[in-house]
Amino acid sequence: MRDLLAKPLVPIANEADATATLDALLGRLDADATIVVCHVIEKAGGAPDKASVEQREANAQDVFALVRERCADAGVDVQTRIDYGTDVADAVFAAAADVDATAVAFTPRGGSRWLRFLTGDTTLDLVTTNDRPVVVLPDAGDDTDDAEEGVDA
Amino acid sequence: MSDEELAKDLGPLAALTIGVGTMIGAGIFVLPGDAISQAGSLAGGAFVLGGVIALFTALSASELGTAMPRSGGAYFYVNRALGPLFGSVAGWANWLGLAFASAFYMVGFGAYVRNIFGLATGYALVGLEIPTVKAMAFGGAALFVTVNYVGAKETGRLQNVIVVLLVVILAVFTALGVMRAEPANLPESKGFGAMLSTTGLIFVSYLGFVQITSVAEEIKDPDKNLPRAVIGSVLIVTTVYALVLVTMSAAVEGGFVAGLPADEIAVVEVGRQVQGGLLAGALLLGGLLATASSANASILASSRINFAMGRDRIVTPELNEIHGRFGTPYRAIGITGALILLFILVAPISTLAELGSVLHLVIYGLLNIALIVMREADVDGYDPSFTVPLYPFTPIVGALASFALIAYITPLVQWLGLGFVIFAGAWYLLYARSRTTEAGELADWILSRSDEMPDSAVTAAESVAPDGGQYRVMVPLANPEHETDLITLASALAKQHGGTVVATHIVTVPDQTTLSHARDNVDELDDGEISILDAAREDAETFGVDVETHTIYSHRAFEEVFDAARTYNADVCVMGWGPHSHGRAESRVDELTSDLPCDFLVLKDRGFDPDHILVPTAGGPDSELSAEVARDLQVEYDSEVTLLYVRDDDQSEAAATEFLEGWASEHDLEDAELVVESGDVESAIERRARSASMLVVGATERGLFQRLVGGSVVMDVVDDVDISVLLAEKKRSRSLKQRLLGND
Repeated sequence: MRDLLAKPLVPIANEADATATLDALLGRLDADATIVVCHVIEKAGGAPDKASVEQREANAQDVFALVRERCADAGVDVQTRIDYGTDVADAVFAAAADVDATAVAFTPRGGSRWLRFLTGDTTLDLVTTNDRPVVVLPDAGDDTDDAEEGVDA
Repeated sequence: MSDEELAKDLGPLAALTIGVGTMIGAGIFVLPGDAISQAGSLAGGAFVLGGVIALFTALSASELGTAMPRSGGAYFYVNRALGPLFGSVAGWANWLGLAFASAFYMVGFGAYVRNIFGLATGYALVGLEIPTVKAMAFGGAALFVTVNYVGAKETGRLQNVIVVLLVVILAVFTALGVMRAEPANLPESKGFGAMLSTTGLIFVSYLGFVQITSVAEEIKDPDKNLPRAVIGSVLIVTTVYALVLVTMSAAVEGGFVAGLPADEIAVVEVGRQVQGGLLAGALLLGGLLATASSANASILASSRINFAMGRDRIVTPELNEIHGRFGTPYRAIGITGALILLFILVAPISTLAELGSVLHLVIYGLLNIALIVMREADVDGYDPSFTVPLYPFTPIVGALASFALIAYITPLVQWLGLGFVIFAGAWYLLYARSRTTEAGELADWILSRSDEMPDSAVTAAESVAPDGGQYRVMVPLANPEHETDLITLASALAKQHGGTVVATHIVTVPDQTTLSHARDNVDELDDGEISILDAAREDAETFGVDVETHTIYSHRAFEEVFDAARTYNADVCVMGWGPHSHGRAESRVDELTSDLPCDFLVLKDRGFDPDHILVPTAGGPDSELSAEVARDLQVEYDSEVTLLYVRDDDQSEAAATEFLEGWASEHDLEDAELVVESGDVESAIERRARSASMLVVGATERGLFQRLVGGSVVMDVVDDVDISVLLAEKKRSRSLKQRLLGND
């Protein structure tokens, strides 16, 4: 069987997400693996966005800088890309198809039900509406996240 | 679809509704009662006049928007064209103007909530009478700030539906009203003075179109859609306002609106008269939605202004941090939200409206001037696909009308507006000037023609120029032979400070030739300068430092070095020195050299070899600079550094060594070789120079330049050694007293 993590597409939202995801992912890769990190800029689709596109592109580059540094230290090949879409999960799978990724690998970002309701439950979308394997990585910091937010009981 | 298409997803209707949605809430659902009371039959005229003034600015905003579809809109254009001083004014005015306007919308919102739920006008809380309207306004504002903080994307699309609904409600209201209208109902005119001050009050109804430009980067096909949305939204709301005002004045008996009690909403009561409870109910709902959507859109737009200001370092970019989970610029929205809540608490509704108006009038005036500057300075890459008709008439009228209307605003608000402008100017000078980097097209244009411009304009442009906090190394280039060595030295310094190399070629133009002729006929004059700058760029790029190149035409080459150092905000100027380097300095040398605009490093080039650097020192500011340079070169090239101190005969060896050790550690040169000699200074330097590859000497207090360029005796040592010599002199400016008394 082909290795699922030979060329995973890794959606990353922010710097904390990047750290958590790479902590979980880098140790599980084979020597010749390549990862494709993508950041999705969520578009409102016909209404003003919640933040400037340029602002979020700059933010994505900051996150990518962290990703490249971590991957260089670990000796893992990495590509980065910015994708745009009204639905984050759809954009992630479109990107995965585009680079012919072996799987989509991500760390659930936790959070209370209330927060998920407000911000959209991307984790659920990623694992329910997919057209290729999805690898859900453990989040070492998950417990502390929940403890901090303290609502998700 | 390409990424470009995905990122730009605002179609023509969506762009139009941003403008209409932001404007229509305030104008028509909150202000008509006050407008009719103040201006009588001319209330409609006040709205039309406001619309006309807005239209002139809308034309200018359209041209600027198609030329520069960037996030930040009006602020961005003003900053780019007029520079960061005016940029700071426009940015703060836009930000605070939107916060005042949002507070105003929310007070309107509060009035609608109170009416809909039939609440009392106020209630007592721990002995205080809390007005219901303000309490509701406060709650509403907190809600909409939270919505934007969390970033629900659904609100954007809801906005489109709301705008269409509002236009329908108002169309029905107008249609029914016109059927009942009788000219005899029109109240008496209160005169043009009253109309103009009413225009100042209701101008807050015309802020929305410029917010379209603040999301210009998201608009699909902005060449076409941006002007249509900007101009179209002004035309639509002006028409709607005029019709509604005429209806309100003519469909009910004269004096009806003016006679309403303060806690009733004029447009709703007129609707009740015209049709009855159904129309009144629709208008109540409409007012609720309209004020909410105006406030919501304004909060969103203000975060774009914050982003653009942070991008230019007018405010700290920390403000633009994106929330990890919500993906929103939460700090900007949080601060704007806090301001809105504060404004709701402290100011009455008409003051909020007028403050929103006056700050936007300032922006509109500046925006029109920005357009004139972009056109007149013939800026590279300024290529708008929409151009204002009747240029320069349109932007001139737009600017004059905007500033003139300020005169009709309540004096208190005028003073507050002036206070904000002064605050924004001071903010630039005290905070942003040391951080922002772009001087703006106007300053570049003035300084590039400094010979033709009045001195006062040049001085003004120089004295407010940003210095960016960035380390800038200017290299005036003349002799191609020394280009590589000078650029290498400059790049090494720039690299150590994360700075930029600014290579300038100063072309001497004979006095008979005008400078503009020279600019247009570059080839005839000198064909060396293009290649010398290209070579400079290549050499600097091998160090991986940023490079800027500039060609300067001047009648007086040497003096131009000083001007250029000021123009390009140099921190240090690295120049060659030799018989043919920069022409002769003429009689102004004394005056020139007593003011050094930046640190100067003058290289007597005998080959650039930083292997072993000799730094003679006797303390003092200029040898501080030589220590800095030696340290930079040491870090870059791993150079060996020797510090040389020549003691006086009456100073003990131990005291001299102690001084030199102290000096070395003070300048982070502890690892340098320390040498103390005695006897003649120059022969000591010459002796030590034999084993060194480069000599870095601080100029003495007497002034290096005076002696260099005045042709008087230069330190013999420069000629007596056979290695490259770098002379260092610190920036210095004469005090006012020194200038007046004429001594150094």
